[in-house]
Amino acid sequence: MSIPPGFRELTEAIGFAAANGPWFEKIEDGRLIRGFRPGLQHANSHGIVHGGMLASFIDSAMGSTVFHVLQRRCVTVRLSLDYLMPGRVGDWLQAEAEVIGHDEHMAQVRARLYGPRHDALVGHGSFALLSRKRPPRS
Amino acid sequence: MSEDYPPDHPPDGFLRIDFDRGGEPTFNSHVGNLYVKKGAKGTRDEFVMGLRVQRHMCNPAGGLHGGMMMTMADLVGSMGGTTLIGLRKFVPTVNMTFDFVAPAKVGDWVEGRCEVVRATRSLLFSNIYLTVGEEKILRASGIYKIPSGEGQAFGRARLDRNASERSAEVAAKGPPA
Repeated sequence: MSIPPGFRELTEAIGFAAANGPWFEKIEDGRLIRGFRPGLQHANSHGIVHGGMLASFIDSAMGSTVFHVLQRRCVTVRLSLDYLMPGRVGDWLQAEAEVIGHDEHMAQVRARLYGPRHDALVGHGSFALLSRKRPPRS
Repeated sequence: MSEDYPPDHPPDGFLRIDFDRGGEPTFNSHVGNLYVKKGAKGTRDEFVMGLRVQRHMCNPAGGLHGGMMMTMADLVGSMGGTTLIGLRKFVPTVNMTFDFVAPAKVGDWVEGRCEVVRATRSLLFSNIYLTVGEEKILRASGIYKIPSGEGQAFGRARLDRNASERSAEVAAKGPPA
């Protein structure tokens, strides 16, 4: 599987993220970018990437962006996703997110997930920021 | 992958969904076993999806991963919603909105039910709840496209009645040594 330059595999993933990987990440101009190349195990019976897989991937990119920007662990409280176009098996798909506002307890995030030809998914989420003393969760 | 994990022991009436029927595993099989129970028409249990939380569905904190909840909710809204309105078509997802109200842990039995808010000629609106016992863990709303004309077939998914008989035999004999 070919991986675009600059990405590292998230080998620390366990559980659901590991079972549905491999997922990749890079930091470019201070921004966090997640990527993966879907296979058949990420698709539905029509050969397009499952909506649940895209949802998992963009959610993870949003949570990681919160940590990257605010240095706070978080959990997803609400996520709203608009499915624009199908993701194709074999394409390199990327997700980028942006923290558009936050206070001490919550962060608002928007994100897009896109392939080589078009945007596949846009999302908006509310993330609860965990206390700085609590152990890491994701 | 599920053979590496303890048996699901689904409650009575739940049959495993065989999504691929011998073909290459797709995402719905890859994430783990999903079950369906179909009750009397018009009742709360007309369509119920179920899963046993296994470790490979969890996040590093040991709770059911949000991605797994979203995957299940998407399927409950589409498979359940089309079942409730008697439509045998594949309905692509247009929008999903999820509220993560509580966690679930390894060993929990999660159920998903949906309500059809409205079905127009081209769109299906549904509300979805995932629960563990009486407790709600996820609230979701889904909007799905109803294809014009014949559309694509529903997919290969069938309820695996033989597997259910096999698991009933296993349950009767107790777990393998």
